[in-house]
Amino acid sequence: MSQIRPLRVGVAGPVGTGKSSLVAAACAALSDRVQIGVITNDIYTDEDARFLRSAGVLPDERIIAVQTGCCPHTAIRDDVSENLNAAEELNAASGPLDLIFVESGGDNLTATFSPALADVQIFVLDCAGGDDVPRKGGPGIARSDLLVINKVDLAPFVGSDVARMLSDSRAARDGRAVFAISLRQPRDVEQLAGWVLEQLAAHRAGELVSQDPGPMAPHHYPGREQSEPRSHVHTH
Amino acid sequence: MLDLMLADARTPTGGFAQSGGLEAARLKVEQIPAFLRGRVSTVGFVDAAVAAGAARGTDPMVLEDEWAARTPAEPLRRAAGRQGRALLRLAAHVRPGALDDYAEVSRTTPRPVVLGLLGRALDLDPPEIARVCLYDDVATCCAAVPKLYSIDAATALGWLVGLAPVIERLGRRAAEATVLPSASAPLLDVRAVLHDTHTRRLFVT
Repeated sequence: MSQIRPLRVGVAGPVGTGKSSLVAAACAALSDRVQIGVITNDIYTDEDARFLRSAGVLPDERIIAVQTGCCPHTAIRDDVSENLNAAEELNAASGPLDLIFVESGGDNLTATFSPALADVQIFVLDCAGGDDVPRKGGPGIARSDLLVINKVDLAPFVGSDVARMLSDSRAARDGRAVFAISLRQPRDVEQLAGWVLEQLAAHRAGELVSQDPGPMAPHHYPGREQSEPRSHVHTH
Repeated sequence: MLDLMLADARTPTGGFAQSGGLEAARLKVEQIPAFLRGRVSTVGFVDAAVAAGAARGTDPMVLEDEWAARTPAEPLRRAAGRQGRALLRLAAHVRPGALDDYAEVSRTTPRPVVLGLLGRALDLDPPEIARVCLYDDVATCCAAVPKLYSIDAATALGWLVGLAPVIERLGRRAAEATVLPSASAPLLDVRAVLHDTHTRRLFVT
């Protein structure tokens, strides 16, 4: 086993878009291929950690919750101490691990991970939350490493236009990856798992450079051109 | 200025996740000022004396043992260890190399010891470090107040200001102590152990 520290995959996005379910599905798909740990960042409880333990996709001790003192933004961005401590503890107690999912508390469109915490980050939206959300933009939608549009199986029932969500997302993302998936479709879960394994391979090869999606509220100065979004460094 | 940085809640060392036992205590509002005074005069004072000792150059391994002997609740030792590790990460950025020898040998990295060592590396005097430690003890609770009670944050800061003379006096005493104090607050320890088992909590401690 290599001495490279585990890849840290951040999973952020609004409340109820399916972050915990996505992590559970990815763990179920990957746990016989790589050693995984999970850190959850709930605001009031350890509900997400308990959900993941009850899903039975990993041994209980591989899933830990950090307390965020009501500050879920702070815990993943301004002061990542508790999450870095948790990652070290997970790896020391159950490792060596290959990758650690760090799940953000459900939030709004502005929360993204510090590059000091997440090597790559997934931003999760869902069809049921409204098909205009990708157009609203924000750092996670525009510049996360992977944007997931979840629950596409619900689209016909809630009147969401998946094609529009995809085209709005692609317009905002300058070539960065977008997946429209249903976690009930094994093929979609495998697509997600494949993406994670690609990131892991890049991390091990030393080719992964953490790309910060940017601060919560990028500044715009009237009369001045907005700076160009940074180009995507991943070669896949 | 550097003492202000160490005392600043915005300095990223995990302080936002602590309530200093306030969440676990489940007090009535009118009990909080006495709680703050009790904390800072007992466990806060011990921590400050340990931090001042580390700032003065006392063997940090000896201080760790002495501190652990005075901190019987395992969840509190664990939380302080995590905060100490966060401080070590900060130290690696602001004084690269200065705490490497300690980081290599320490297994528990309690916050007061690391705070004292970092203070020493930043050329802060033991009384300054003791004062930072005591201020942080009270300020941590006060910052948690508006998240736990229907109280204006400014009201909690009024309590902090009221304790200023106590903090100044205890800071001097902590720095002058030739023998580490052994003041304790058993209820804080008992509640910390119970708190650690709760699934619906906002704060680590």
